[in-house]
Amino acid sequence: MIPSDHFTKFYNEVFKFLETKGNEVLHAYWLEISRNQERHTMEAFRADGLRGMRDYWDHIRIEENCDLDLELHEDRLELNMNACPSLRKVMDNDANPMSRYCDHCAGWIGPIMDKLGYHLVYDVIDRQEPRCKMQIFKDRDQAREAEGQAKLLMDWPGKSDGNKAK
Amino acid sequence: MIKPDDKPLRYNDGGNVHMDFHGATNTTIDFIIKNFGIEAMDDIFARVGRDVYADIRGHLMAGNATELVKHWRHFFDREGADYAIDVREDEVVLTVNHCPAYHHVKKIAPKVSDHFCDQTTKTNEAMAEGGPFAIATEITGPGSCRQIIRKRP
Repeated sequence: MIPSDHFTKFYNEVFKFLETKGNEVLHAYWLEISRNQERHTMEAFRADGLRGMRDYWDHIRIEENCDLDLELHEDRLELNMNACPSLRKVMDNDANPMSRYCDHCAGWIGPIMDKLGYHLVYDVIDRQEPRCKMQIFKDRDQAREAEGQAKLLMDWPGKSDGNKAK
Repeated sequence: MIKPDDKPLRYNDGGNVHMDFHGATNTTIDFIIKNFGIEAMDDIFARVGRDVYADIRGHLMAGNATELVKHWRHFFDREGADYAIDVREDEVVLTVNHCPAYHHVKKIAPKVSDHFCDQTTKTNEAMAEGGPFAIATEITGPGSCRQIIRKRP
């Protein structure tokens, strides 16, 4: 058994392998993970909207030992990750970290939000630092405005409104 | 083969446990095998055994199985496994009666991958490869196994 605690280190090895096969392959994998995650999220997100999303990430905050702040607003959910255990574990590792490890989060969350008609703005800030900012908007124009303030904006498979990952 | 010490493990995780990660491992195994074949999956597990668990491997290479036994106890305890470890003079036997990973996936996923337990078999093999010990993994049933560390002849 690879312990749950070491899943991110396994994930990192998978990313490194897939990166050698090309970006499309990496995107196909994130889509597969996204479909897997739909089983844990879609019903609540569809039924309870932003509040359902807040509840999901609050559960993740506890189970994954995250230092994060969640703010639920009428028009958006805002998540500020102050200390990401996933990247921290990948960096505290005898194997080398994949340089774009952080990209996987938007890679699975983005397609779910697209299916639900919400607008994800995912700012990784810096791939070497275990912190990021995620915002989920009801309104597309507000999301566009927030994208302009991002330091390192993430892309995901199927994202079609013009913003490409740096 | 066992030299007890009170040093912390290289990866000494604490806090809460997110068991759903096992579901993502299950999805990943099927994705990799479907698209790249079983050899690719085995190779990734081998990298986990060699590179991620370089510290355990280093101890095994030096003839010391203590770190691996400590690793088993720490993480099987954290995940609430039903298991026993029998340390004998010439071998260490881990008997897993109820694997938390397998049974959690069975609960949350449509199907447990036919290759789910390869994560154990292949990672064990890679940790021990080229060293004084062999680690045999015997799958004894759905969600149960025996893992045996013994000196190579």
